[in-house]
Amino acid sequence: MRINTGAFIGALLLASTASFAMPSIQHWQTTNGVNVYFVATKGLPILDARVVFDAGSVRDGEKAGVAALTGALLELGAAGKSAQDIAEQLESVGAQMDTSTSRDFTSISFRSLTDVKALETSWGVLKQVVNEPDFPKADFKREKKRTLLAITQREESPGILAQLALYKEIFNGHAYGNAIRGVESTVSQLAVSDLEHFYKQYYVANNLKIVLVGGLSTAQAKNMVEGLVGKLPLGIKAKTITTVEAVQTGKTIHQEHPSQQTHMLYGLPVLKHNDSDYFALYVGNHILGGGGFSSQIVKEIREKRGLAYSAYSYFHPMVEKGPFLIGLQTRNKKVEEAAATVKQMLKSFIEHGPTTDELIAAKKNIIGGFALKLDSNKKLLGHVASIAASNAPLDYLNTYMAKVKAVTREQIADAFQRRIKIDSMVMVTVGQTVRSKK
Amino acid sequence: MKKLSAVIIFLTGLYALSSFASPKVSPNIVHEKVLKNGLKILVKEDRRAPVMVSQLWYKVGASYEHGGITGLSHVLEHMMFQGTHGTLPGEFSKIIAENGGRENAFTGADYTAYFQVMEASRLEVSLKLEADRMQNLKFQQKEFAKELQVVMEERRMRTEDKPQGQTYEYFKALAYTNSPYRNPIIGWMQDLEDMELADLADWYKRWYSPNNATLVVVGDVNAKNVFVLAEQYFGGIPTVNFKPVKNRTEVPQVGIRRAVVKQKAKVPYLLMGYKVPVLNSVEDDADIYALEVLSGILSGGSSARLASRLVRGSQVATSASAGYDMNARLPTLFLFDAVPVKGTTVKSLENALLEQLKLLKEHPVEKKELDRIKAQVIASSVYEKDSNFYQAMQLGMLNTVGVGWQKGEAYVEKVKAITAEQIQAVASRYLIEDHLTVVHMQVEEMQGAH
Repeated sequence: MRINTGAFIGALLLASTASFAMPSIQHWQTTNGVNVYFVATKGLPILDARVVFDAGSVRDGEKAGVAALTGALLELGAAGKSAQDIAEQLESVGAQMDTSTSRDFTSISFRSLTDVKALETSWGVLKQVVNEPDFPKADFKREKKRTLLAITQREESPGILAQLALYKEIFNGHAYGNAIRGVESTVSQLAVSDLEHFYKQYYVANNLKIVLVGGLSTAQAKNMVEGLVGKLPLGIKAKTITTVEAVQTGKTIHQEHPSQQTHMLYGLPVLKHNDSDYFALYVGNHILGGGGFSSQIVKEIREKRGLAYSAYSYFHPMVEKGPFLIGLQTRNKKVEEAAATVKQMLKSFIEHGPTTDELIAAKKNIIGGFALKLDSNKKLLGHVASIAASNAPLDYLNTYMAKVKAVTREQIADAFQRRIKIDSMVMVTVGQTVRSKK
Repeated sequence: MKKLSAVIIFLTGLYALSSFASPKVSPNIVHEKVLKNGLKILVKEDRRAPVMVSQLWYKVGASYEHGGITGLSHVLEHMMFQGTHGTLPGEFSKIIAENGGRENAFTGADYTAYFQVMEASRLEVSLKLEADRMQNLKFQQKEFAKELQVVMEERRMRTEDKPQGQTYEYFKALAYTNSPYRNPIIGWMQDLEDMELADLADWYKRWYSPNNATLVVVGDVNAKNVFVLAEQYFGGIPTVNFKPVKNRTEVPQVGIRRAVVKQKAKVPYLLMGYKVPVLNSVEDDADIYALEVLSGILSGGSSARLASRLVRGSQVATSASAGYDMNARLPTLFLFDAVPVKGTTVKSLENALLEQLKLLKEHPVEKKELDRIKAQVIASSVYEKDSNFYQAMQLGMLNTVGVGWQKGEAYVEKVKAITAEQIQAVASRYLIEDHLTVVHMQVEEMQGAH
């Protein structure tokens, strides 16, 4: 049985790789040391790019929200152009640009057609946005107000409240514990000069990586990137992010909220990028709660008990230790049952690991579905950006399937036992308490 | 162009339609075949990656339902994963997973669709399973009872606990009088509570047949092979004679409709909608494309009027957008939704939006504005080719709602032909007060929140 199924995996592997050219990632540095990652694709006259600065909300310091607001202002005024000018220039050639801030990074995502007119126009705008943002006062005031309103609006959502509460607790005292957009008390204090300082300090060549995927030649890509950021000052590389400490003792936190469902999150900080346990934990989690309908949590919580529409678990590796978490949302009166069930499932998974059949099935899914990860420029861009951001080796995608294949039951059990300490886990529930019948 | 009204709900929350933006045009050839039993097959070969997406679309959705049975199409979609006479509950998903696939399903007002994304050589696995559940679904009380709970949880998550979602539900019920679009896709909670297994079995028997379905395959496949496999697995399924769905054409609206919806929320919200025709409901489609471009002028990007004038200019809105789904099966609403900035009332925001419409009626849009919308449409038609899934969505949806997939091919040319005068004309013709519905979501104190 095992041999047979093993052979089946082999056949699948062959099928997925036979006609499949693994993308080759070219890597170089600009004259000012910016790391560039480029995949040339054929067939579509599109360029996708991502400009990634080590300028996430973890860099906020006392001014929680400054990173996100700085990112949001970039495309609202640059080199003397107004927000309207910038949007008009991009949209007149159908180009798209979007800035987003996570805890670790601020990224500008860019998409344009590759004909000369479109690309010259759109790339020119991108260059101004990256190099010469103006942080106009009027736009700053408005975006600050919009951010404050968005912060108020978070209170409407039990799901968002649960996540904020969990992060606050498991990253107790660490910058990862803060909301990316900040809180009312910090954002209301921000001034334009805070954004200008933040930009000057973090938007420098030493903190920058650029990823390109699309229909360009290497020479073209090199020229374009040099033109884009070649003049950006070197600056000082952002400091290593403070270590995330393990949670000392787990706890349960409840917030009352006038919702019909209670949102439950259960987690702790675990994984950095490129952790040696990554593949064991990833494959294990696929079985536990990451693999959709075939995962244990979905089977038990949704398919067997009808407790939730969405139930899942995941590892989110970050520059410093990111969370492992289990999440679901269920009608208020069922939250105790759901929480107890999930806790028990995790405990049992840590003790016993997956069965052989479960492991085989998970590998078939991950390996057999590998080609799906790379079937569009956009997805490819996302994967290469992850490789770049995490400093993973350039052959990461080439070795991916072999690493998944090599994971054993014992490795999964061992990794979960060492890394997931149940006594340190935090449970957060946000919803309405239902008085018990007694 | 953003489509507020193209709401679809998925079987699981695992998927996001990142590029559900605007229809497309493509030089890739669409291969079409209809089997003897009526199953239509559409294939697009795209060899950029060794993968394929297979989608099976049924002509049934929430707009086929009536009062008392709302939500039936969507619950049936959930039941389609709960076993057939030859497979156990969940086995479908297990087989797809073991073949490296990803799958899901979604229900809209005008369609129910199932899909698998897999390495291209696995197409047969997908077709075999879909053919099985087209004819052999097993309705088991135990699975039904549990799945109904799952759907109620889904409803609580999407609607009861989302102030804006709940408001949209009341808004639609106010705007439409007799059109089935007045009902929520997921169904009213009362109807879910009253639903019985036999209702689902009847619904399945009535609508799930090869002559009411479209199979779409896009990816690294050979069209001829797809046709052969489709014939092999679907060819033997008998045609079902069913009565066409009743027209239920919305009665004319003869005056503005207004309501206040109170919600436990923090930030007020505005919804407005005008009754407008769609491709399906007109002979001459010029007005439809003009309305489509009009929605772009208002809300097609950050340089468009709503962002430029209401968010950045007068700063009455923290967000504002317009949406129009010209591919709806039945006449629909040209929608606006907006959130006022702190200190501004929903009423002044409404006035600001109306002022923008007045300007559109009184003055033709500028040429450069119009050119920008057209440039975005042309670029999007290229970007969309980066996604097999999106291309398949377009073919399946257009065919299922009755517009015909060929219309998608004509989209860019039709949009390019629209003039400033036409936009001005449709604004005056359709965006009139008598056809307007306005809902103000008012904020109620959130007791129990910290």
